[in-house]
Amino acid sequence: MTPARTSTLPQTTARPETALGGVWRVVVLNDPVNLMSYVVVVFQKVLGFDEATARRHMLEVHEQGRSVVWQGLRERAEHQAFVLQQWHLTTILEPDETH
Amino acid sequence: MKRIEVTLSLPAIVPLLDVIKQMADTLGSSLAAPLRLDDLEAEFHTAWQSDLLTAQNADVRALLALFDQEFFTAHTVTLDEGNAEPVLRACSALRLRLRTEVLPALPDEALESGAVDLLPLAEPVRRAFLAYVFLATLQDLILSHLGSTILGGDHP
Repeated sequence: MTPARTSTLPQTTARPETALGGVWRVVVLNDPVNLMSYVVVVFQKVLGFDEATARRHMLEVHEQGRSVVWQGLRERAEHQAFVLQQWHLTTILEPDETH
Repeated sequence: MKRIEVTLSLPAIVPLLDVIKQMADTLGSSLAAPLRLDDLEAEFHTAWQSDLLTAQNADVRALLALFDQEFFTAHTVTLDEGNAEPVLRACSALRLRLRTEVLPALPDEALESGAVDLLPLAEPVRRAFLAYVFLATLQDLILSHLGSTILGGDHP
């Protein structure tokens, strides 16, 4: 990740186009605030999970601190992360080095 | 249209509304769940921040609109398909902000279980915790009674 910033504005870091290629993971991080039932519904709504899958990912977030909820092309991963953030779930993107 | 009406005790809720409005003010300029997408291009990051903030503020306005003149005369709030989602998200944003601004001293486990001893808490913290619980109760009501409408789905 490239957290390099100026003190006033996020700094654009030069990187090759291929840096955005490949497979990316959308990872939801745990927080102690959002209700479990809320997280389950958000996963169902945003990611299209059935209830059992949503519950499994919710428990993974709760117990392990994080869960990979989606993986695929970067552009789509960004979209998923954006919508999850709209629902106030803290989300990060990670490159999937195995692909 | 599916809807639920919730009758609330005015003396119990009005003090909590003061706390909620204070938190709502702080959410005007910052996200409840800060962006952690450090490798986003700077332009995207700025645009996302702005779009998320706009959406967050619209959601919070929808929640505050529940407590209008009618609430103060009829003591009821109405939740329906039109406001369920924004109110649900606004409750989440406000609870996150309460956590960081007023309730940081309470352990995660206590907040998750709700097992908090109110007596030793200072009055502002006690009131903030009650607001935190009230917002969760609103979320529970929405999820229980309007969950199926929320899951109408906007996923691909």
